[in-house]
This record gives sequence, C-alpha cells and structure tokens, in this order.
Amino acid sequence: MAGSTIDHLIAMTVFLGAILIFVGLFNQTIQTAILYQRNKYIATKCSDLLDNILLNPGIPTNWGRSNVIPTSFGLQDPEFTQYRLSPFSLLRLVSASGTPVTYPKLGLVCSNTTIGFGNFLLVPYTKAINYSLATRLLGVNGSYGFQLTITPIVTVSITKVGSNPVTLSVNVKGAGFPLSNAVVSYCLIIVKPTGGEGQYPSFTTNYGTAYTNAEGSAILSFSTINEAQDSYVLIVYVHHGGLIGTGYYEHILNKENYIVPFIYDFGNEGGQVLLAHSWDVHGGDHPAAITYNATFVILTEDFTLREMPLGAGRVGLLNYGNDPHTYEIITIPTYNPGILVVTYRKSANPKDSGVVLMPWGISSLAFPVVFGEDPSSKTWVATDIRQVLVGNVAYQAKLALWSLEGYQVIG
Amino acid sequence: MMRTIEVFLVIVIITGAFIIASFYAVLPVPRRVSPLNLRRLALTTLQVLDSDYSLSEIVFKNPEDPDYESSWKQLQVALSALLPPNIVYNMSVYIVRKEGGEELYTPLRFISNAESLGIQSEAASYLVASSNVTFRFVPQKIGDVGGVGGTLYILNCSDARGWWITGYTAHTLAQDLYNLLSPYFQKTIMVQNTTQLAKILNGTSLQGETVQGAIIINTFGEAVPIPAGYYATQGYDPQAQSYAKYCHILGQKVRTYNFTWVSIVGYPLYYVSNINLFPNNHNTWGIYGMRDVGPAGLNAFLRGLDGKSYSYDNNWITSSVGVVQLSSEAIYYCNYYGIYPYPRQTATRALPADILTTYNLPESRVVYIFNKVYKNNNWWIPGAIFRHVAAGDNKITGSFFALGLTRTPDIRLTALGLLCAFRPRLYRSVYTATDATRLVVLQLGQVGGV
Repeated sequence: MAGSTIDHLIAMTVFLGAILIFVGLFNQTIQTAILYQRNKYIATKCSDLLDNILLNPGIPTNWGRSNVIPTSFGLQDPEFTQYRLSPFSLLRLVSASGTPVTYPKLGLVCSNTTIGFGNFLLVPYTKAINYSLATRLLGVNGSYGFQLTITPIVTVSITKVGSNPVTLSVNVKGAGFPLSNAVVSYCLIIVKPTGGEGQYPSFTTNYGTAYTNAEGSAILSFSTINEAQDSYVLIVYVHHGGLIGTGYYEHILNKENYIVPFIYDFGNEGGQVLLAHSWDVHGGDHPAAITYNATFVILTEDFTLREMPLGAGRVGLLNYGNDPHTYEIITIPTYNPGILVVTYRKSANPKDSGVVLMPWGISSLAFPVVFGEDPSSKTWVATDIRQVLVGNVAYQAKLALWSLEGYQVIG
Repeated sequence: MMRTIEVFLVIVIITGAFIIASFYAVLPVPRRVSPLNLRRLALTTLQVLDSDYSLSEIVFKNPEDPDYESSWKQLQVALSALLPPNIVYNMSVYIVRKEGGEELYTPLRFISNAESLGIQSEAASYLVASSNVTFRFVPQKIGDVGGVGGTLYILNCSDARGWWITGYTAHTLAQDLYNLLSPYFQKTIMVQNTTQLAKILNGTSLQGETVQGAIIINTFGEAVPIPAGYYATQGYDPQAQSYAKYCHILGQKVRTYNFTWVSIVGYPLYYVSNINLFPNNHNTWGIYGMRDVGPAGLNAFLRGLDGKSYSYDNNWITSSVGVVQLSSEAIYYCNYYGIYPYPRQTATRALPADILTTYNLPESRVVYIFNKVYKNNNWWIPGAIFRHVAAGDNKITGSFFALGLTRTPDIRLTALGLLCAFRPRLYRSVYTATDATRLVVLQLGQVGGV
C-alpha cells in the first residue's frame, strides 16, 4: 500500500513537472510565432506609413511654404502627383542629425542641417515641425516610433587634384554604381580681392558643362583662379537619364569672420533670411567687421544656373558684439528651389574673403534629411524604401519603424 | 511503479508531439518577416527614370539610330545607380499591339544584372507612351445646346489702353484667350476697335455670328474701351463729369442681348479708354487715352443690368479679402479641362454678397470660381459668374463674370470660369494609334543577408 502511494506521488510529481516544462516550451513557440506575426505587421505598417507620408501633401497643402502648423502631416509636393516631395516641407522638418544652433541676439534656436563649413541650413524651432507633432499628426503617437531618412541617390563629390591651374575632379556615383557619360553643368563663383576698405565683395561667375568618363569622373580646370587671393565656390549639377544630383566645392580664405544665414520666416510670396556675423553665433578669435554681397541662383530646366535679383539688404556691412548693426534680413522673393550664395570679405582687407551657401528648398544642394528618433537601440526595426524626386533631384526615402508597445515574451 | 512508467510514457508522447510540432512550426527568415516592398521600389524606380521622359525616349528609340545601343547602356547605368547594391534586377520591355481586339505583348529588350533573382522577387509594370502620340479630344461647342452663348467676343481694340494688366498688353491676353477658348465656341471674334464694339453693343453682327447670348471678354483689365459717337455722348454724365453713364448703358445692353460680360482682374469698369477720344486725359496714373470713372462705373453697370434708372453713385463697394481658394467646383473642372491655375490667389477687389439681393442676381444661379469669404461681418465674393434674373421671372437676362483679384491677371482663371459656367463636354477621341505603347516590367530581388 505504502509502495503504491509512493509510486503515485512520484508519478504525479514527475507528471506535473513535465507538464509545466512542456507548457513552457509550447508557449515559447507560440509566443515567438505571435512575435513574428507582429513583426510582419510592423513591416506592413512601415510600408503603409511611408506611402502615407510620401503620397500626401498634408493639410494645408502648402504648409511647407508658410509658417502654419499643419493639421495633417505629409511631404508630397502639392503641385505634383506620385512620389514627388516638396523641397520646402522637408526644409521645415527638425533635423535629427545636427546640433542645434543659437543666435542669442534674437533668441533664435535653430534646427541644424549644416554640412561642413560654409553650407548652412538653419531653421528656427518655432518654424519647424518636430518629431512629436509629426507622430501625433500621423496617428502613431505612443504606438510606433520612426525615423525618416531622405538621402540623395546621386553623390557628387569634388576634390582638388591640382593648384596651378586649379583643377577639380568631379566624381559622380549612384546608389550602387558610378554614373558614366553624365552631363555635368557647373557654376563657378570667384570672390575677387578688389575694392578698398568698407567695399562690398565683388565676384565673377563662370558657367560651363562637361561629361563624366567611364569611372564617373570629370576633370574641370580653371586658370582664372588665384588660390592665394581668391575664395571660390563651384556648384555642380549632374544629369543622367532622369537622375539629377548636385555637389559643391569651396575654397575659403577667411574662416574666422563669416556670414551665418538663418531662415527667418516663410512668407506668402517668399522667405526671409537673416544674415548674422559668425562671432555672434560661434564666437572665435580676431573678430572683425565684414561686408557681404548676397545673390540667389536657381536651376533652370536646361540644368544651368540663373541668377535672380534680390531686393533690399542684398549688400551690406555686418559688425559683431554690441554694435547696433550685427545682422540683416533679406527676402528671397520666390518658392522656386535655389541657392543663396553670400560672398563676404573682411571690411578692412579684400583678400580675407569667403563664400557661404544656403539651400532654399532642400534639393538645390542635395542636402539629406534625417527626421525622427534614432533606431539604433530599438528591438525590432522594420525598414522600407522608395525612390522619390525632390525638386527634380533623385532621392531615396527610407523609413525605419518600430513598435513602442514592447516585445517581451512571457514564459 | 506502473504509474511512474505510465508518466514516463506520457512524457515520451508529449516530447514526440513537441518535436513534431517544432519540426513543422518553422519560423520564416527575417527577410520574409520584414520584407522590403520591392514592388513599390520597382515602381518608384521606373517613375524616377521616366521623370524627364528619358525612359520613354529610350524605349521608343529607333533601332537604326546610331545611339540605339549606347542609349540602352545608359539606361542600364542609370538603373544600376538608382538601386541599392544588394538589389538585383531584370527589366523587360514589351511592344504592345492590338490585333483583333486582343492585346499582344512582344518582347523587345531585356536588361539584367544577375542570372537569378533569388528565391523571392517582386515586379512592377509601367506603361510608356510614345512622344509621337498626341491625345486629342473634340469639345462640344457652347451654344449647341439651347442655342445661346455660341459667340465669344474678345476685346482687342487697338484704340484703347489697359490698366492692371501689368506685364501684358490687351492684345497678348486676347491672343492667349483666343487660343484657350476658341475650340469651345461656334464663333470667336476679336473685336479690333471700338467701332466694332459699338456695333455689337447695337446688336449688329460683325461676321454673321449670333449676337444674342454672346460672351464679351474685356481684356483691358480695370479699363473698358468706349466707342466714340453715341456711346461717348450718351454715356457722359455732365453733372458728375463722369462716364459712369456709359457703364450704365453697358449694363442695359448686357441685359437686352443676354450678354455675359467678363472682367478679368481688379475693380470692374473703373476707367474708360479711347485714345482718340481722350488724347489729353490720363487715368491719374499717367496712362493717357483714359478717363477715371471710379467705383461709379460698376454701380452704374449693375443698375443698368437690373433695369434700374441711372444715378451717379461713387461709393466703393469691394473689399480686399486677401488669399482666396478656388471653389471645389472650379477645382473639379481644372481636371476636366486640363487648365491648372494656382488654386490660391489674392483678392483685393472682392464684391459684397449684398449685390445679389440688391440687383436680382439670385445666389442659386451664381457660379462660384473662388469660395466666398466672411470678413468684417459680411460675405465677399472674390470671383464668380452672376446671372441676372428679373424679379418675378425665371429667365436669365444677362450675366456678369467678375474676378476681383489683384494684378497681374491670370487669364487661365477667366477661361476656367467660363468653362465652369457653360460646361461644354469633351468627347475624347478614340485611341487608334498603333505601336504607341510599350510596357516596361522591372523585377527586383534581394541578394545577401537573411
């Protein structure tokens, strides 16, 4: 009798233990399957959300070209259909890549998409659309996190290969291949060391075209540049079978005192840009008054650059510190994408010159856009990509999406 | 002991069940769980390639062309540059032919960068049309139905000057309007001088056209040409020293002949112009050949349209309401007629809604081109076609189309407004061109990774 009871007890204990283990094992399999199902759903959601962002201009449709806060989020260019994005809606997104820049004199704190010295894109937070607002407008607040990356497909890198005469190599690459036999249209702006103290900088412009070779390179040579005295910038547009890319190269003599352009306002007829003295933004040594000369160039349909006249404030003198005239506001009278080119020189010395660029519309200098949270520490991130056009420039839009509702497997 | 053995047997059975279940419950590889939407990627790639019609151009290139082979190579370079390195592709181009009601797809060319697209691939197709094919349509002529409104008069008077048409001349605007609108009318006539204008105001046809129910577009902006003779003498109010009375006569004529009078920009009928009649007068802004009438012109016109007697009223009635939006109806017809003016415009001369009741222009008959705007406790109408229906009547007796926008005029809005009002149908032509369409299929696969 006692043996039977012991047998019963052992059997029950082993049976219960085994059941528990098997329940756990089966549960694990089921949980993993559910998790995979959920991940598949996230991938579908990612594709849908990306199309939702790219195929809808938002409300109001022209929010990128005004100061209004949209009531529905979308980046499509309202004047087009399909995957064409508004260069100005993208301009108003808070960049996730750059460190914010402050202009204390006017209390501006700006989203920063600056790429290297002299290529500024600073948009005040008060005018920009932040990630939190975008998630709310897209209806994913609290349920999904995302990062939207818009990167140019055609990469145009320019390197100097000779100094006398100045020879530049333009290298053009696509996402997976060099672009051979592509048309290279360029605009060279040279700041000349002329004029006495207090004069505005003068500059010359040269235009031309070339073709890339089988490796996707084109060599451009400029005998009119004297690198010891001239600052210059080369802006290049590359065109190949529907693909357009852009690049630039700058040679700056004066990096101590320069102009920092901030986007100040998005008006109905165009935008306002604040030109500030660099010392008031970044500090530095040997501050000095600078004169500047601003011009605006747009890309025409035949892929050449054309100058557009600017109004009041086009030329001027900027001081620093407590001087009464430390900034100027100029108006760009159009919503055609273009490039604001500001040449400057130290007021007292025409040889201390330089040039800075600011894209008006994200596409004109092929600036990338990174918007949203960093996905690197997230558990399961679904991604999807589309090819898009931004102001005729080919970009790749990539959305990384993850769930905010947790992934813990029970059991 | 038996119980323990039984339990172990149960454990063995459950273990077997678990192993068998695990064997069949194979979880998919991550690529299948979270796939790239290759179909969309393929479609957007084709769209980018065709954004400046490069793809269409290559696909339809003549094989005899010396650049034929190099063009296809260029297409392959562009395609390879567009796609990420881990994407392999296969692009196929087919000639689409219709034979006996069936569509035949004949392969034309293949481009690929891999022997195989892997275990899973997606494809998108894209139809391209030859640039040699033009799409044709036949518009219904306004006036075909009901017999009213078959004639379009465009004022192109060489002896008058315009105002608020900055950057254009009345003659260039007239030419553009002719090109835009003449296909929709039985007869379109350029009124070349004020003498011809006087004739049509008298109900006399110029080229045997029907005057009754005609549309008259005033391309002179805020100015209106005034004929010498009867209209200049009878149209002058000596007491007020104003030609507002001419505008009153115009209103009466619009009512008599059931005209549609079109004002393309600004304050309607603000000046009268005739360079022979007023060689020494200017419009207070230095444009000679013109006399200032002021707001009295529009007020007199509306009184004339409504059959009221003339009285001089120089009260300003319009308002600057700022940015206005095209009405939903106008946006619909933008797509129908393929005319795409910018949907947001600035209105500085919007008419007040109370003219609808004052001058018998029933709201039910109004065709809004721009949405009306509520401002300063009043409704304002930036752009609309007003139709006059006399009290106690149901018949339209004259119409007035006013676009109270700021300069410079966009004549596409004028064209759109008239088409919205008369709505001529478009009969699309049957698409009979052969070998005019080619199908491009782009198939994508992924390599590497899991």
